[in-house]
Amino acid sequence: MSATLPVVASMFGSIPEPIVNYVIWPTTKFVIAFAVIMGIVAFTTLVERRVLGFMQARLGPNRVGPQGILQFVADPIKLLLKEDIVPAGAQKAAYFIAPMLPIIPAFLAFCLIPFGPPPTFAIADVNVGLLLVLALTSTGVYGIILGGWASNNKFSLLGGLRSAAQMVSYEVPFGLSIVGVLMLTGSLSLVEIVRYQEQSVWNVLPQLIGCFIFLVAMTAEVNRAPFDLPEAESELVAGFHTEYSGMKFAFFFLAEYASMLVNACLIVLLFFGGWTAAIAGHGLTTAAMQSMGWLGMILGFLIFGAKVAFFMILYIWFRGTFPRYRFDQLMDLGWKWMIPLALANIVVTGLVILIAQSGGAS
Amino acid sequence: MLVEAPKTKWTDRFLLLDLLTGLRTTWRELWRKKVTVEYPENRLPTSDNFRGMFRFSYERCIACKICAMACPIEIIYIDVGEETREVDGKKKKIKVLNRYDIDVKRCMFCSLCEEACPTKPKSIWLTTGTYELASYDRNELYMNMQQLEYWEGRPEYSTLEEIAAEQGITEAKALPGKGDSK
Amino acid sequence: MTQTMLNLHEMEISFGPQHPSTHGVLRVMVKIDGERIVDAKPIIGYLHRGTEKLFENMNYPQCVPHTDRLDYVASATSNEGFVGAVEKLLGITDQIPRRAKIIRVMLAELQRLSSHLLWLATHAIDLGAMTPFFYTFRERELILDLFEDYCGARLTLNCMRIGGQADDVNAQWLQKLADFLGIFDAALDEYESLLTTNRIWRKRTVGIGVITPEDAIDWGLTGPPLRGSGIEWDIRRAFPYEVYSDLKFEIPVGRNGDTYDRYLCRMEEMRQSKKILEQCVTMIADTKEGDLKAKVSRVIRPAEGEAYFSVECPKGELGYYIIADGKNPNAYRCHVRPPSFVNLSALPDLVKGHLVADMVAVIGTIDIVLGEVDR
Repeated sequence: MSATLPVVASMFGSIPEPIVNYVIWPTTKFVIAFAVIMGIVAFTTLVERRVLGFMQARLGPNRVGPQGILQFVADPIKLLLKEDIVPAGAQKAAYFIAPMLPIIPAFLAFCLIPFGPPPTFAIADVNVGLLLVLALTSTGVYGIILGGWASNNKFSLLGGLRSAAQMVSYEVPFGLSIVGVLMLTGSLSLVEIVRYQEQSVWNVLPQLIGCFIFLVAMTAEVNRAPFDLPEAESELVAGFHTEYSGMKFAFFFLAEYASMLVNACLIVLLFFGGWTAAIAGHGLTTAAMQSMGWLGMILGFLIFGAKVAFFMILYIWFRGTFPRYRFDQLMDLGWKWMIPLALANIVVTGLVILIAQSGGAS
Repeated sequence: MLVEAPKTKWTDRFLLLDLLTGLRTTWRELWRKKVTVEYPENRLPTSDNFRGMFRFSYERCIACKICAMACPIEIIYIDVGEETREVDGKKKKIKVLNRYDIDVKRCMFCSLCEEACPTKPKSIWLTTGTYELASYDRNELYMNMQQLEYWEGRPEYSTLEEIAAEQGITEAKALPGKGDSK
Repeated sequence: MTQTMLNLHEMEISFGPQHPSTHGVLRVMVKIDGERIVDAKPIIGYLHRGTEKLFENMNYPQCVPHTDRLDYVASATSNEGFVGAVEKLLGITDQIPRRAKIIRVMLAELQRLSSHLLWLATHAIDLGAMTPFFYTFRERELILDLFEDYCGARLTLNCMRIGGQADDVNAQWLQKLADFLGIFDAALDEYESLLTTNRIWRKRTVGIGVITPEDAIDWGLTGPPLRGSGIEWDIRRAFPYEVYSDLKFEIPVGRNGDTYDRYLCRMEEMRQSKKILEQCVTMIADTKEGDLKAKVSRVIRPAEGEAYFSVECPKGELGYYIIADGKNPNAYRCHVRPPSFVNLSALPDLVKGHLVADMVAVIGTIDIVLGEVDR
């Protein structure tokens, strides 16, 4: 991208270079990235409805545009034009802030995720990237709690409470499940984790249990079926967003799908080799892609995209298949199974690494 | 007969087989033919004795009011007058149907009126014709006997092309309007 | 101690009447402590149409289409109960031609399948499994097509007449029925693959809303809620009507009386209904075509007396109690004993101490239809 910079800079003519470099260029980058991700997230909603429909012997939305492909444009238009209802007893300020809270961290997390081989696609390769992503994704729940409380509806309140409990229970196994990966790779940088995997194997093999826990916890983390308790429509009407309408509702909706996408990206990066398709340094490694130039970059992006798409479909597949857990059973599963299992996984991983190291040393 | 839950082995539970069978079902269904009928373009054919919209025949009706009596919700309104008419050269008093209205919006299509009708063929009957009776104005669904008899539309007239073909005119310019556009 | 003091930690929720999983317009006032239900009080009457009073003001044949609207997802059995009661009142129960009786059994069993499929759909979607809904509706559609071919209506059938049947079945219809029965077992297996062994489904249903056999009898429950508790009671077997005494079928009973057992009972009932239908298809071949109606006068005016007739509708015992005064062509009094209403009365005791999510499961498992509860 730096090659295109002079071209862009020349377009701005007499504007001083620091302003171009630090204001205009980042803004452009941000707008493009935001628009693309927003589009992908919106498109996911369409894909979900179509795939879910196909799994249920029906067609799903197919009216707007060919094969319903423009549905994801029509939906936001509809939601923007809808009346924005504020319940009379709502706590106004909190009610307005709540929808923004989940969507900001969800989109912010995308900055830290390398969508393809560096340097092009890794927008910000932070050396504690993983930690930062985890921190951001876990803040999303505050919007749900706040929204549930502020809308002055008992169903919303219950949804918010459920969400709080769910977050507390599943943050822990979510974090613990990746400790094994960190022990293996020795880095918190997502790029480094992928680099480690292309030199050995995908982390899913040595960390099968960790991967499984991560999969379950990430489904619970984004309130997706079978853990969609905060919005369980057959129990709590619509849960925390019962009273939200129009674009405020859409913000919750988009935030959910954005965090789905973040988590799908994370599992691919942590356990499924990210953008690479290599084992023990053979195959399409990062270095091989970088040597191929732009083609390699795009190839890496496509591989990454395909892997992420699989996990997005998996979310939908789960939703189409499983009944919903009950509130206390969800807690049981989290505290009695996931956390002990994650801890055991860490211990076993540690022992194996220790044995391997001492074996290598002697 | 006692029904009991199927026994599952612990190995199956450990391997999440119960969840995987469910996933397999939905996966298979993903590739199967869909059952959706896209409504306004495609319609399911109604069966031969589908109870759809009414038809009424003034010709056949003998103004006996049995249908009105059979109706459970009394939505058939019939007025019968007497008229002296000349039939075969003699003056005769005959029953004349002055009003035959059905409040279709309240109808539940139970077909009891059709069953009660003594004429052969029936003078009030439920056709397989249509089930699309939605209207923007509820008054439109209160129908008098003309509306009941002709709701299917006026008789269709043949098009110019058909007339031309009938009369053996083959040249396009013979048809007014057709040649002008060329 | 907290019971006597002002309960600040309890919250009252009005669950319904516009709520996605109250199966119509049931309203339950729930007192909850956190998510645990302290008290639940069903409030009914949002769909009250005064059907029983209507029956007093119209003659007997006119009542039949109104019975469709009681249990609108199982209208054939509603019809069957009413016409049976009037026939009993007239004393012509034995004169109904055998072919008409077989057709009635076929319609009733098809209706049982259709109603149970709808129950499965809604029960599953209440517990968060949305896919069985669409699968069951796919098969239910075929049943509705059969109804449409038979009598012209799909939902509110009005398919039975006092004294017999109005329409006959033909070979084509029987073939269509046989085709449907051919695919039905595979369809049932498909639903079960999503639910029966699924650990989440079992967690949500096993041990939820347990009814002990004693309680079930005390509360007057009928249908699957009673059989799920292990009591083998089925009107079709206890007081055989139509041709049920000639048919071979089994009555599934559960062991624990929980939601899961009732689920299994209903699934097995569908398999049994399929067997009954298969027997009916062979039985009807021996009867004369077109022999459908006993002699009934045009204006039905039974002698003074009363009659109670009940059928096993998909939800339990549906009974009609009719008193005739001998002078008028309409009932002096007609009382409907709806299974949903009686079964619903068990709800408060079933959900106490459970979570909100379980209440949804319990409402789903007792399979109420509000048209019948409110009448």
